[in-house]
Amino acid sequence: MAAAVEFRQIGKSFGAVAALQDVTFAIAQGESHAIVGENGAGKSTLLRILVGGVRPDRGELRIGGDAVTLNIARDAMARGVGLVHQEMLAFPNLSAAANIFAGREITGRFGWLRDGEMRDRARVLLERLDVPISPDAPVESLPVAYRQLLQVARALASDCRTLALDEPTASLTAAESDRLFAILDGLKRRGVTLIYVSHRLSEVFRLCDRITVLRDGCYVDTFSRDAIGADAIVQAMVGRTLPPRASVAATTPGGEPLLRIDRLTRRPRFADVSVSVMPGEIVGLFGLVGSGRTEVLETIVGLQRADGGMLTVDGRVRTFRSPRHAARAGVVLVPEDRQRQGLFFNLNLRHNLALPAAEASGARIVRGAERGAASALLARWRIKASSVDATPGALSGGNQQKVVAAKWLAMEPRVLLLDEPTKGVDVGAKYEIHGMIRDRASRRAACLIASSDLPELLGLADRIVVMREGRLRGEVSATDAAAFTEERVMRLATTAS
Amino acid sequence: MTRWWEGRELSTVAILAIEIAFFAWYLWPPANRTHPFVNAANAVLILKYSSIYGIAAIGAAMVIIAGGIDLSPGAVIALSGVVTGGLFVGSGWSLTASALAGFLTGAGCGLVTAALVVAVGLPPFIATLGVMGIARGAGFIITEGRYFDVSSRLPADWRPLGLPIDWTSPLLMIGLAFVFQTLMIRMQWGRAVFAVGGNETAARYSGVRVGLVKASVYLAAAMLAAVSGIALTIVQGQGKADLAMGYELDIIASAVVGGASLAGGRGSVVGAVLGALIFGVLRNALPQIPGATFYDRLIVGLVVIVIVVMDQVLQRRKRVDS
Repeated sequence: MAAAVEFRQIGKSFGAVAALQDVTFAIAQGESHAIVGENGAGKSTLLRILVGGVRPDRGELRIGGDAVTLNIARDAMARGVGLVHQEMLAFPNLSAAANIFAGREITGRFGWLRDGEMRDRARVLLERLDVPISPDAPVESLPVAYRQLLQVARALASDCRTLALDEPTASLTAAESDRLFAILDGLKRRGVTLIYVSHRLSEVFRLCDRITVLRDGCYVDTFSRDAIGADAIVQAMVGRTLPPRASVAATTPGGEPLLRIDRLTRRPRFADVSVSVMPGEIVGLFGLVGSGRTEVLETIVGLQRADGGMLTVDGRVRTFRSPRHAARAGVVLVPEDRQRQGLFFNLNLRHNLALPAAEASGARIVRGAERGAASALLARWRIKASSVDATPGALSGGNQQKVVAAKWLAMEPRVLLLDEPTKGVDVGAKYEIHGMIRDRASRRAACLIASSDLPELLGLADRIVVMREGRLRGEVSATDAAAFTEERVMRLATTAS
Repeated sequence: MTRWWEGRELSTVAILAIEIAFFAWYLWPPANRTHPFVNAANAVLILKYSSIYGIAAIGAAMVIIAGGIDLSPGAVIALSGVVTGGLFVGSGWSLTASALAGFLTGAGCGLVTAALVVAVGLPPFIATLGVMGIARGAGFIITEGRYFDVSSRLPADWRPLGLPIDWTSPLLMIGLAFVFQTLMIRMQWGRAVFAVGGNETAARYSGVRVGLVKASVYLAAAMLAAVSGIALTIVQGQGKADLAMGYELDIIASAVVGGASLAGGRGSVVGAVLGALIFGVLRNALPQIPGATFYDRLIVGLVVIVIVVMDQVLQRRKRVDS
């Protein structure tokens, strides 16, 4: 019997970055097959190739034994391949039935919509999945878990024989995940091939027959579930030798904690998170997507309200109402998404760089001196831009990210919170951003860095605290070299203890 | 230091200059007759009527730069004019006191808009549509269809601040344009307005008081509309509820032609005033062209589209260059 899906020497590059190189493996009919790997290992790209979202540069994709060229998602559907996305792709303004059939509506003559038939078929599908919602229910009124299940229904509506799921439980609660697994088990019994991408090894072991590991865009190996343990999988995911740890410790952290959070809670995202950061200390907050790390940082600076717990800055108990309030107390958050949260593309670099400091100091007048100050920032952090009058849109991603970091560092914060400070930037820029953070720490700022880039944290942080599913799961310190390893941290972040 | 004049205002000046040159040439009179378009009296006339739009367009530009939209200035102009005229003529208040009451009425409309947009969270289009209806309706309720004959109570040779009355509103427009351009370019407040319009999320992360900035912009816009309404009542000599009907769209068009982007984050107060002048010249000159009477609205519409398309093409080219 031909394999359900077969990847042969698949290669794909985005610009200079090779996302996938020479990936070859097969997924048998009717099996459930996991694809695991660290962030950036190429899992999502592989799925996008499978459903026609991306075309490979090299290699061949075979579905049911036939070599295929998929141009759009519709081609993949025609071959019986469906995808449940990580993000909730749904039309919240439309009904459940309309979502299930969106783009593939059943139509009669002249494109007349056959609503009744779609509603009936949606009802059958939803019953089959044990989802107790009406086909007419508006999707915006549904809980997140049901939206995820609607995607499953959508895939099944097009007679899908191979269903790929990309981190489907990232935003589900434990009970909702259980329900999804029950449904997936049912599909498996009916002979549907499942391709399951997840960070959560416990789920992978529960659901899948075989596990393929990708690392840095390359195929590592495929294991049978019964022949391997979680530790071996983690080792295969991490695999590489660590880059040498940069010589840190310009100053030794010490003294009273400058930042202390105590049992900070914001349900349902995270609960009972306690971390202290000394002056001059860099603490990593590691967690995979959906672990709650971003929410912890946003709650500290007042973008979200805590349900409970205490925040202490320099010995004083504080509750910040807004990032402005926090910034005035010397606590700043450098946000994750530079496009959406970091930069003003309508304003030039000088305005971008000066804004947070000016707002925090309560400035009334735009000072002439800021031109010089902004130029100095560009020079100091080696930001490549034609001048301070250029707009951020003209800069490369790495330089944009440096601008984002520089604008908040220009305030000389005492407590520096960073969320994924080097997401999507090249190695050179990454290195320089690390330099900026170390420089701040050497001036005795307390730095807390949330990241899902483990080698980065291991190279940068004095300690790493690990979050999984909204809770702290452990801590490793650089002073304990035996424990300060990728395997150890990844195990804390992925496996239920 | 930021240049007080940006490149975009210069191109609006150029458009205005070309427009004036065109009409000067097209309407060139036979020998020995005064030019019907290029003469001092006509210039004052254009300035006088443009300033009604221009003063309100300063506010519209700021609202648009902050990423909002304001449909209420026409109605606020009428209501503040009605209140001023009603108190001045009907209740025998002094002109200063009536004008102050008219101004405060307009400011009140701005506070309502600000509350609806910032506190209630209504989309600005809806909030200002509602305020537009309320302000216009209040004007009709106050006047009950009458109009207040302000001109009869004004002294015949009245010279406010020692200036000819026709000069006051143009000078007011120029002064206010200067003040608000300075606020927008040289003050942290103005920079926050640009930041909120460009990226509201990033503004919040950067410590900008987003709600306060938005509220202040709607309040300022309503105050400017009120000033414009008082000026219009005095210029026209009457307070009437159906004054300034449909002005809101001309006011928004002035701001847009002056470089404001409805996507927010881009625009200029001086540009908006220049935009109002571009339309003022069109409205003055077109009726003087024989046979063009029925074409003037059509031409005004075409001009808006042509200027904005030109601007977008230039923007795109600039982006490619950099």
